[in-house]
Parts: sequence; C-alpha cells; structure tokens
Amino acid sequence: MNFIQNKQLRWLKDNLFSSVGSAIISLITLYLLAGMYRGTVGFILSPMRKWTAVTYNMQLYMIFNYAEGDSWRAWASVGVALFLIGVTLGYWNSGEKSSFKSISTGLFKVFTTLTLLVLIAPRETEVMNNDGSRSMVEVISSSQRISFLIPVAVLALVSFVLTRLNIEMSFNRTKTIIFYLGFLVLSGWIIKVPTVTFDASGNRILPDVYLPVATTTTIPWTILYGVLWVSLFIGLFLQKKGLKPLKRIIPITWVILPLYLFSWLYKKPLIELNKVFTNDVPGVLIFWTIGFLIIRYITNEKFMQYRNYLTSGFLLATASILFLRIPFLFKVLTFSVVLLLLVAPAIANTAEGKRNLLLIWIVAIAVVAFLLRGSGSPTGILTPTGSFLGGFSLTWVLAIFGTYVSFPFGVMLALGRTSNLPLVRVICTGIIEIVRSVPYITWLFFASVMLTVFMPEGVEFNLIVRVLIVTAFFSGAYFAENIRGGLQSIPKGQYEAANAIGMNPFQRISLIVLPQALRAIIPTLVSSIITAFKDSSLVAIIGLFDTLRIGSAVIPTQSSPVNFVGTQLDNLLFIALFYWVFCFIFSRRTMKIEKKLGLGER
Amino acid sequence: MSIIKTKNVKKWFGDFQALDGISMEIEEKEVVVICGPSGSGKSTFIRCINRLEQHQEGDIIVDGIELTNDLKNIDAIRSEVGMVFQSFNLFPHLTVMQNITLAPIWVRKKTRTDSEKKAMELLERVGIPEQAEKFPGQLSGGQQQRVAIARALAMEPKIMLFDEPTSALDPEMIKEVLDVMKELAQSGMTMIVVTHEMGFAQEVADRIIFFDEGKLVEQNNPHDFFNNPKSDRTKLFLSQIL
Repeated sequence: MNFIQNKQLRWLKDNLFSSVGSAIISLITLYLLAGMYRGTVGFILSPMRKWTAVTYNMQLYMIFNYAEGDSWRAWASVGVALFLIGVTLGYWNSGEKSSFKSISTGLFKVFTTLTLLVLIAPRETEVMNNDGSRSMVEVISSSQRISFLIPVAVLALVSFVLTRLNIEMSFNRTKTIIFYLGFLVLSGWIIKVPTVTFDASGNRILPDVYLPVATTTTIPWTILYGVLWVSLFIGLFLQKKGLKPLKRIIPITWVILPLYLFSWLYKKPLIELNKVFTNDVPGVLIFWTIGFLIIRYITNEKFMQYRNYLTSGFLLATASILFLRIPFLFKVLTFSVVLLLLVAPAIANTAEGKRNLLLIWIVAIAVVAFLLRGSGSPTGILTPTGSFLGGFSLTWVLAIFGTYVSFPFGVMLALGRTSNLPLVRVICTGIIEIVRSVPYITWLFFASVMLTVFMPEGVEFNLIVRVLIVTAFFSGAYFAENIRGGLQSIPKGQYEAANAIGMNPFQRISLIVLPQALRAIIPTLVSSIITAFKDSSLVAIIGLFDTLRIGSAVIPTQSSPVNFVGTQLDNLLFIALFYWVFCFIFSRRTMKIEKKLGLGER
Repeated sequence: MSIIKTKNVKKWFGDFQALDGISMEIEEKEVVVICGPSGSGKSTFIRCINRLEQHQEGDIIVDGIELTNDLKNIDAIRSEVGMVFQSFNLFPHLTVMQNITLAPIWVRKKTRTDSEKKAMELLERVGIPEQAEKFPGQLSGGQQQRVAIARALAMEPKIMLFDEPTSALDPEMIKEVLDVMKELAQSGMTMIVVTHEMGFAQEVADRIIFFDEGKLVEQNNPHDFFNNPKSDRTKLFLSQIL
C-alpha cells in the first residue's frame, strides 16, 4: 500500500486507530457523521424544499426595499469596500508563498473528500405526503450520481498526480486566494439555478426551470472581481514604492470608510446648501481657529497653568450643550476640543509635532463636518417601510457600527473602572453594572420607545441611530469587562518600567498597557464581536427588517407574485449558512492575526 | 557636591516599617552597593529614589531637585535616573530596538533616526547588536537584562539604579551582566546597586552599605567592610554569605 502517501496513513493509524477502543469510537463517530451528512443532503434536496424562495428573493435579502433605480449605490458601496480590501491586502502583503506542492495537496484533499461525499450521498429521502403518511422519494438518481462522481474523481486523480510531480513552483498566498475566488465568480456564469418564471399570461411556470444566474448579478460581481485584482496590484505597487504615510492612512481609511458609505454613498443624502453655508462652513472655520490657537500656545508656560481649567471648561461646555438645540456638529466639535487639549501637550512640544497635529486637526474637523452633514440630512431613498436600510445591509451596519462605537467606549469604561480617581471609578462601574444587568431586548425596547422621551425636545434620532446608541452601551459594557481582564493581566513591573523611563500616564496606557492588554484578550474580543454580529438580528423585535426577519417572517408570508408561504425552513437554513460563513471567515482571519501578534510573546 | 541626598527617610507598608530614618549622601561618579538580608528595605529605598514607592517622612533630593508630590519634579527626576529591575520588565510586545527607542522618542522627543543610531551604539556597548530586531521573549535572561540596561541608558541618565539585577539569572549569565555593569562603573556613571554579588561589590564598589530592618547599619569602603565589619549584625551576615 505504499502507493498511497504513507504520511496520511500513519496519521490515521496514530490518531484514529491507535488502539481497539479508539478504533471503535472512531468508527461510531464516523458512522454518526455520515448519517448526519446524509440527513442534511436529503433535507436539502428533498422535493419539499423550495429553494426558489431564497434565490428569487436575493435582492430582498441583500438590500430589502432599497429603491431599484439606486441599487448601483449598493454595488458601489461593495466596490469601494473591496477596493480598500484589495489595497490593504497588497500593501500589507507579507510575501507569504504557497508552494505548488501544498496547493496540489490541498486540492487533492478537497477532491477526495468530494468524491467520498458524492459516494455516500443518500439515494432517497423521506417526505411527508398530504395525508400525513411518510414515503421515500428518490433525490439522487444513479445517473446523476455518476455524472457528479466522474468529474470529481478525475480531478482528484489529476491533483494526486500533481502532488507526485516534483514541480518547484510557488505562488503568492494572497494572489492564490483571490484566484480561487475567481472560481466562485466564474460559477456564477456557468451554474444554473432554479428560477421563478412566468408565461405570457402571467402564470408561474412549474416545475421551476433552471436558468443561468441573472446578468444583473453576474456582471456586477465580475466587475467587482476585477476591481479586487486591480486594487491588489495598486497595493502591491504602493508597497514596492514604500510610501510610509500609507501605514497610518490605510487604518484610518478603514475607520472612515464605513461612515462614508453609510452616510453618503448608500444613504443618498439630500443636501440643503443653505445649511452647509450657515452651519458647516462657519463651524469648521471657528473650530479650526480654536484648534490652531491651542496647538500654537499649549506649550507656552503661562498658558500651561490654565490648561486644566480650560479642559474642564470645555468638558463642562460639552455636557451642557448636549441638551441645547444647536447643530450636532458643534456638540461633537466642542468635545473634540477636549480631546485635543488632552493629547496636545504630549505631541505638540516640537515644531514638527505642532505641524503634524495641526494638519491632523484640520483634516479631522473637515471630515467630521462632511460625515455629519451626510448623516444629518434626510435620505433621498424612499421606501415603504420608512427605513432605507434592511436585510443584509442593515445587519452589516449594525454589526460594524455596533463594534466601532462600543469598542472605544468599552476601552474608556475599562480604563475608568481601573482609574485611581474615585468619582470616575464609581461612574464607570455604575454604567457597567446597570447596563449589563438588563437584557439586550429590554434595551432595544428602551431605544425604540423610551429614548425619545428621555431626549430633550428638539433632539431626535433615527431609530437605527438609537439602536446603535444602546448597542454602544450594551456591548461596550461587555467589552469593558473583557478589557479590564486584559488590563489586570499586565504585570505590575510593566507599569513600573514605564514610570521609570519617565512616561506620562497617557503614554503609559496607550504605548505599553493597552497594546498588551488587547493582545491578551483577542480571543474573547473576537467572540464578543461575533456575538454582537449575531445579536443584531434581535432588532427585528422593534420593527426593523434585518436578514433574519426577512427570512423568517417576510418571505414565508409572500403569496404574490409567487406563493412562498411556509418556506421558513429553507430560508432559515440559508440564513444559518449566511451567518456561519461570515463568522467562520472572521474567526479564521483573527486566528491568523493572533498567531502573527503572538510572535513576540512567550 | 553630592548628587543624591536623603535625610531621615521613613516609610511604612501598613503597620510594617520598611525604612526607619535613612540618611545618606552619594557623590557624583560614586558606585554604591547596598546589601543586607531580604526584607531589610534596601529595594524599597532605591525605589523611593525615583518615586516608584512613596516615602512618608524625610527628604530625598536628587541632583538638586527635591522629591515631592509635584508631578513635574517626579518627571524631572525620573528622566535623570535610570532603573534596572530584577525581573527585567522589558516590554514584550516591542522589539529590542523599539524597547530602547521608545522613551527617547516619546519622552525626550528625539527623532527616530537619531534614537535608533544611539540605540545601536548602546546595544554594541552591552554586546548584543545582532539582537536588535528580536522580541524580548526570544532572548536569554542575561541578554534581556543587558537590553534593560541599554533601555535605561538610552535616556542618558546621570544616575543608574540596579535593583538586584542578577537575582533572576542563571549563574552562567550573571557574569555577562556584571561585566556590563563594571564597564559602566568604570565609565564614570553614578550607580546604586542592590545586590548579593559580593565579588562584584569588592571589585567595583566605592562604598558598601549594609541595611537591616529598615535601618542603615553600617557603611564603609569594600576593604574595611569585608575585613573589619564593625557591627555584630554585619559580621553575622558576612559569615553567612561568604
């Protein structure tokens, strides 16, 4: 038997059949796994399933009732995000290589598994008849099985031959992965799916015909795939050029991009020009000047004495104008001044530092004003349900912004809870304990019903924004406790060493403590983020249409133009797959990052 | 003029009195070794000098700056006093190079290029220039401690404090660290070293101070300290460790 690779055989012997007992357990487990697999395949292929309910409603799943004529905005959002992904992958390309051997071994594993799966796939499955009796129906005929089996077996054989060849070639890892994605796009052009079609008189043609995927899906995806390649090469080119500032610009773009997509591209805001000129332009100019003066004079001895008073003054101003009827922009910018006052002394004590900080300030203020103008303007997308977000786009927005807003908030709460100042500690502990001890669903009801009551008159937020606010508090409290765990894992010696080399508390936290604390809790952070992603489906309770609600409540009640009543199972299975794919990719990626970051420790 | 001057320094941990009226002066370029049984307050004392511990009574004056609660004074003193710890306390998430350049860049506001050049010089001085891009976890204990010394030197301190720098090391690695410290002493650095390495004390120290139960029991030059100890406590201690 030395014809088959001995390594794999040895692995089998060592791990599954090392003793009589383990062999029995292995066989039972394998039998159970095969049974589960056969059951699942039978369920999926059963004639009782109506997968057209999923394929026909794909648009509903993705963008809900977003205006048809503006759907290019949805595609453009994906395109811009993919472009940034491509540039990032290119710029941070580690030059990792996959050898020809490892690729063909991978293919061999995939195709042998597929061959095996086709072989043991069930021939028939049980269905329930109208009278309640059960009978068996054929789901895979012998000829179908053979027509599947031959290509995968041939491919398995080919890849096996490739593993035996001694070809010394290696490919860039990133490029290989994107190349594989190409098969997914290509399959869009080749594969035929069951489609709902109507005859001339408007009656549905049954049984469902199999047609290629609509060109309105395949063409955009093909273009997006091209965008991914182009951006990858741009990223690789920039890496070769070695442009250093990009190292900072790309992460910042990652923070700003979703905000831009949400408030401008996807939202299609109707901008009122007079507001821009009466609000934004003066606001930006005023705060540019304030920032300039602070940066200019912060290191001045005389000015230094009053710094604390000034900081508390602006903090007080932020707190008090929060409830006044003034443009939101001014509230945000007043708070930004507090942040500037806190960081400026640490950075602006050289001429170069001053220049950089001023540049950051100017750009940041302009960006904030730009984004707030977009999110503060009414949307031009008119929908029957009032919210232009729904389905996958809503799930995504809630997941991304939920994490974005709650993570920094969690960091602040955790630092506050471990602070030496008793008042700060009590407040942060109070927030954490109160928020954590009330169920998330209660907070969602709070967002939909009560938050408007609590807000002073004239302050009104969109329902989604209110949901984001309570999510920020809720997952922020959980993040805070995770992060506090990380902070406590930092040995006292690290604080002492930072003190001994003369760092101030701000530098100590941001350069020494937080980087280590966050690294230590990546696994728990990842599971918190995954939980937040899945918990976003709870917003269905307060009337928002997320992916889960569309699949469990909207589509199964559709009766025209096509009758999909009672297709919960099909839709729920699809949604489960959908959530799983994203969570799985996410956790795999972070495992890689974890490995990379773990390098320095031990 | 003395660079460190302490007067009647007292410190309590709860009910336990760790320091009981320590008064001493240390001259510039002097190498002082502090020894004594564990729990005698020697580590606490040098940790008071750069305010890692807070003394409750008495005065500590470092290079003309009095150590009070004023944050400005504490920062000023800390940037003149380098410290090396028993457990190295390197930053595990940064490379050796980043460990050394962190403080010059962020605290002294030097440019990256200058700091890196200086860091390379220091690494050569402590004998491990080839480890610059490694992480602390990849180095041996002796190498880590030498990086810690380089990190403290990168701030160009006037005084170096060593808190049992060789206690956590394998016997084989102790020598490489002591060699670096000897070289440092010969270059004219003011040093206060808490250690049990009596050979090092005999060879390098200008003065040896013996602590017991929070009190300064005896101080003398190495020759007299080892050959004619005055107090009985010192005699007992020496008879046990030599």
